[in-house]
Amino acid sequence: MFRNAPWLLQQIILALAGASAGGIIAAGVFAFLAIIGVFPRLIGKTKTRNRILLYETVIITGGVLGNIIDIYEFPVPIGGDLVLGTFGFAVGIFVGCLVMSLAETIKTMPVITRRVHLAVGFQYVILSIAVGKTLGALVYFTHSMSGG
Amino acid sequence: MSASKTVYLNLREMTEVQSQDVYVRDVGSVYCSDKTVQAKCAALKIRTIREKKEHRYVESALTVIRQMEALDPAIQVDNVGKVEFIIDYHPQKVPSLAWQWAKTIFVCIICFCGAAFAIMTFNNDVDVTSVFQEVHVLLTGREPERFTILELSYCIGLGSGILLFFNHFAAWKLNTDPTPLEVEMRLYEENISKTLIQNDSRKEQEVDVS
Repeated sequence: MFRNAPWLLQQIILALAGASAGGIIAAGVFAFLAIIGVFPRLIGKTKTRNRILLYETVIITGGVLGNIIDIYEFPVPIGGDLVLGTFGFAVGIFVGCLVMSLAETIKTMPVITRRVHLAVGFQYVILSIAVGKTLGALVYFTHSMSGG
Repeated sequence: MSASKTVYLNLREMTEVQSQDVYVRDVGSVYCSDKTVQAKCAALKIRTIREKKEHRYVESALTVIRQMEALDPAIQVDNVGKVEFIIDYHPQKVPSLAWQWAKTIFVCIICFCGAAFAIMTFNNDVDVTSVFQEVHVLLTGREPERFTILELSYCIGLGSGILLFFNHFAAWKLNTDPTPLEVEMRLYEENISKTLIQNDSRKEQEVDVS
């Protein structure tokens, strides 16, 4: 029945479906980002709490632009190694914070340290994780494990 | 003159101070029906910070109460605030505006790229494009051209969803709730001071893994 509906009606329904999908996914993805604690930590570390509204604006623009570029496969002719390098570096820091926040949320570290009664050298555990992640990423990219 | 010399003491959990002499009025508020007693208590010096370097001192309300009662034996202190509190000492220095902005820009870049990256990986993970194609075929029976109204409305919906979620733009704020980021920031700070206080009370114990 719907397939025989007038073109305009179909478009309206499609638009409703798309907008609702966008709204719900925005809530999901960005609630996750806010809750996981990457941003509060970055803001806390840099002691720039007074600029929290600016950060929100930036997160919003980043999310919206990133989404548009991804969906429409927009060419962004401002490439060049500097822009790419900055993007990669920033994303690296972000993902680094994100994975550690995730590990922390599910209490991996406290559980492991309690199980083995780890009393000293906790900083080396963290360092090992960082080095391991870095090496893992390098191996992943150099051996093209992405299946491509 | 009323007989009551009950002083109500309300200490904040964490206070940033810049002077080396810390008084009661810096870290909390006091109330007493006798105004001279109140003034005397508020001007009581809690501690003098000797080292001129950034440090967080964990203090107990008991010390403050003892000092107050030493002022005048008739004083009765009623603590209505925190039992343990933190004095966060920063030696006074002119914050360099350039450095502040450098840090802000640094965080901005990470926030921007991180948000963009997060939504791109999500779209990729769930393969939004082909889902949209299938939805289009399902609803209209036609194969879509490259881009349809679905993608457009998705982009608009996503933007308004984020705006709604962050309750952003003070001018047309939907309500007076703080934004989720502000809430998270406060929670984070609360956890920090809680941890500092607990660390301090555990300092004397040996290895602790509880």
